[in-house]
Amino acid sequence: MPTPILQVKDLHTEFNTEGGVVKAVDGVSFDLYPGESLGIVGESGSGKSITALSILRLVPDPGRVVSGQVLFHNQDLLQISGEEIREIRGRDIAMIFQDPQSSLNPVLRTGFQIDEAMLAHDKATKKEAHVRTIELLRRVRIPAPETRVKDFPHQLSGGMRQRAMIAMGLANAPSILIADEPTTALDVTVQAQILELLGDLNRDLGTAIVMITHNMGVVAGLCSRVLVMYAGQIVEQGPVEQIFENPQHPYTWSLLRSIPRVDALRHERLRSIEGLAPDLLHPPAGCRFHPRCPFRIEKCFTDEPRLEEVALGQHAACWVTMERARKEMDADNLIDIRPGAGSGLRKGEITE
Amino acid sequence: MATAAAIITRPTTLQQASLWSDAWRRLRRNRLALVSSIYLVLLVAVALVALVHTPYSYREVGVATPYSGPSGANWFGADILGRDVLSRLMVGAQISLIVGVGTQILVLAVGVPIGLLAGYYRGPLDTAVSFIINVFYGIPDLLVAMILLLLLGPSLNNIIIAIVATRWMDMARLVRGQTLSLREREFIEAARASGAKPLKILFGHILPNSLGPIIVQATFGVPAAILFEAFLSFLGVGVQPPTPSWGSMAADGLAAIRIAPHMVIFPSIALSLTLMAFNFLGDGLRDALDPRMKR
Repeated sequence: MPTPILQVKDLHTEFNTEGGVVKAVDGVSFDLYPGESLGIVGESGSGKSITALSILRLVPDPGRVVSGQVLFHNQDLLQISGEEIREIRGRDIAMIFQDPQSSLNPVLRTGFQIDEAMLAHDKATKKEAHVRTIELLRRVRIPAPETRVKDFPHQLSGGMRQRAMIAMGLANAPSILIADEPTTALDVTVQAQILELLGDLNRDLGTAIVMITHNMGVVAGLCSRVLVMYAGQIVEQGPVEQIFENPQHPYTWSLLRSIPRVDALRHERLRSIEGLAPDLLHPPAGCRFHPRCPFRIEKCFTDEPRLEEVALGQHAACWVTMERARKEMDADNLIDIRPGAGSGLRKGEITE
Repeated sequence: MATAAAIITRPTTLQQASLWSDAWRRLRRNRLALVSSIYLVLLVAVALVALVHTPYSYREVGVATPYSGPSGANWFGADILGRDVLSRLMVGAQISLIVGVGTQILVLAVGVPIGLLAGYYRGPLDTAVSFIINVFYGIPDLLVAMILLLLLGPSLNNIIIAIVATRWMDMARLVRGQTLSLREREFIEAARASGAKPLKILFGHILPNSLGPIIVQATFGVPAAILFEAFLSFLGVGVQPPTPSWGSMAADGLAAIRIAPHMVIFPSIALSLTLMAFNFLGDGLRDALDPRMKR
C-alpha cells in the first residue's frame, strides 16, 4: 500500500443545539490514498457532508470539530492557523458543492470567479489566470470557452455551471477534490456526463476524489473504494466491487437492495429501508442501526460494535454480519420478497 | 407575435444581459425617474457653470435695488442687500450637491465596512456595533449635529461631518442585514472552500451582491442630507454668510415675506424640486434594482 495522502483519525464533530448536543460525526477514521477515488455514502443526516466540511474546517455554526486529527502532509489540519488552512483550501484540497446554481456568485462573471480561485493563492498573474481559466473550461468540456468566460452564471445551464465549478476546483491543481453530492441537482443524463468527467480527471490528472453521495449508483460508476456511513459513524468500508458483491453490514445490504433496477418486474415496489434515520440527539444504544435491522440479536441493543476486518480490505461494524445472517437466519429469504419487499411483510403475506 | 419576436431577439441580447444592463433598461422605462435624472443633470450643469460664471457675483451687494422683484436684469430678483438671487441660487446648488453627495460618500465609507464586518464576523463585534448604532439612534439628530457644529465650527466640511454623524447608522444597519443573509449563501461557502481571503469575501463577493440596496439607500440619503443642511443653515448654524445656502436664503427671505416673497419662493422651489428629483430617482432605482420587480 502506498502512504495515504490524507488521514482522518477519530474525528468527532458536534452541533450544540438548544435541544442538546448532536454528534454529527462520531469517531470517523479513514485514509485517502493518492489518486484514488473514495466514495462516502449514507442517508441524509448520516454525517457524510459534515465529515467533508470538517476536513477543511468549514463546518457551519453552531458545529464544532471537538476532537480527532486530519493529517495532510504530516500536519494536522485541525491544529494549524486560520491563515494556513485558508492556504490549503482550494490549493491542495478543493471542494465542489451540491447545487451549482447557488455555488457561483450570481453577480460575477464565471471566468472571473475561476481566475480568483488562482489569484487567492498567488498561483498566477491576472493574465496567466485568464489563459488558464479558458484552458480549464475546455478541459471540463465547456464549448466555446473563450466566450463563456464572460458569461454570468445565470447564462449557463445547470450542467455547465457544475462543469465551471469543477474547473474552479481544479484551478490550482489540488491533490484532493472533495465533491459533495455534485450531481444531485442535475438531471440524469447530465449526471452521467459529470461523473464521466470526474472519472477522466481522476485518471488523467491523478487528483484524488472524495465523492460524497447518497447514490450507490454514483459510487459504482466512479469509485474504487467506499465508506458507508450511518448516524455519524462508518459502518462498513472496503473496495467497491467487494462491497457490492458481498456487503457484510445489514445497512449496506439494505442500501444496495434499494437501488431501483431496470430489470425489475413490472409493478414491483421500490424497496426502502424500514424506519427512519435515527434521531442524533438521542441515538439508540448499542448498534445505532439496530432499530431498523432485520437481523439484530440481543447484543445489538446494548453493545456498540467496532469496525472489524470481515474480508481482505473490507471492514464492517456489526455483531452479526451478513455472512452469519445468511447461514443462520436465512437472510436472503427473510424479507427479500418480490412485491412490497421494503414494507417489511414476510413471504406469503402478500395478498395481491 | 410579441413572444415570437422576443424569442427571436433574445439570443443577441443575452450576451450583454447583466444585472446592471437589465436595471438600466427598467430605469429608462420609468418616466418619473427619467425626468428626475434630466433635472439632476441640469442641476449639476448649473452648479458647474456657477464655478466659472454667474450673472453677478453672489456676494456683491447692491447690484439691484434691495428687495426688488424679478426683472430683466435680475431674473429672480434681489435680496435684502441687493444681491442677485439667481447667482446665489446657482452657488447654493453647489453647496447642496457637495453636502448631499459628500455626506453619502462618507456615509458609504463609514457604514459599508462597519456593516460588512459586523454582519460577517457577528459575535462580540456585532453586539458592540449594534449597541453603538442604537445609541446614535437614541440621540436626536439635530442635537448631535448642533453640538458637533458648535464644537467644530460651522464650516462646510464640518457640516458634512455633522450630517454623517447622524446618518451613517442607516447604511451600517442595511449592509449588516444584507451581509447576515448573504454570508449563509452557498457561493460564500464555496468561496471560502476555494481559499478566498476574508477581505476578498467581504468586498469581492458580499458587497457586489448588496450593491443594489446600497445604491438605493445612498440615493435616498442625498436629499435627506440636503434637507438637513438647508435646515441647519435656516437655523443659522449651517453655511455661514456670505456663502449662500438654499436654507439660509429662505431664512433671510422669511423676514421680508410680505414685501418680497420671491426671496423665499425661489430657494424653496429649488430645494423642493431637488429633493423630489432625488426621491423619484431613488424610487426608480429601487424598482429597477429589485430582482422581484423583474418583468
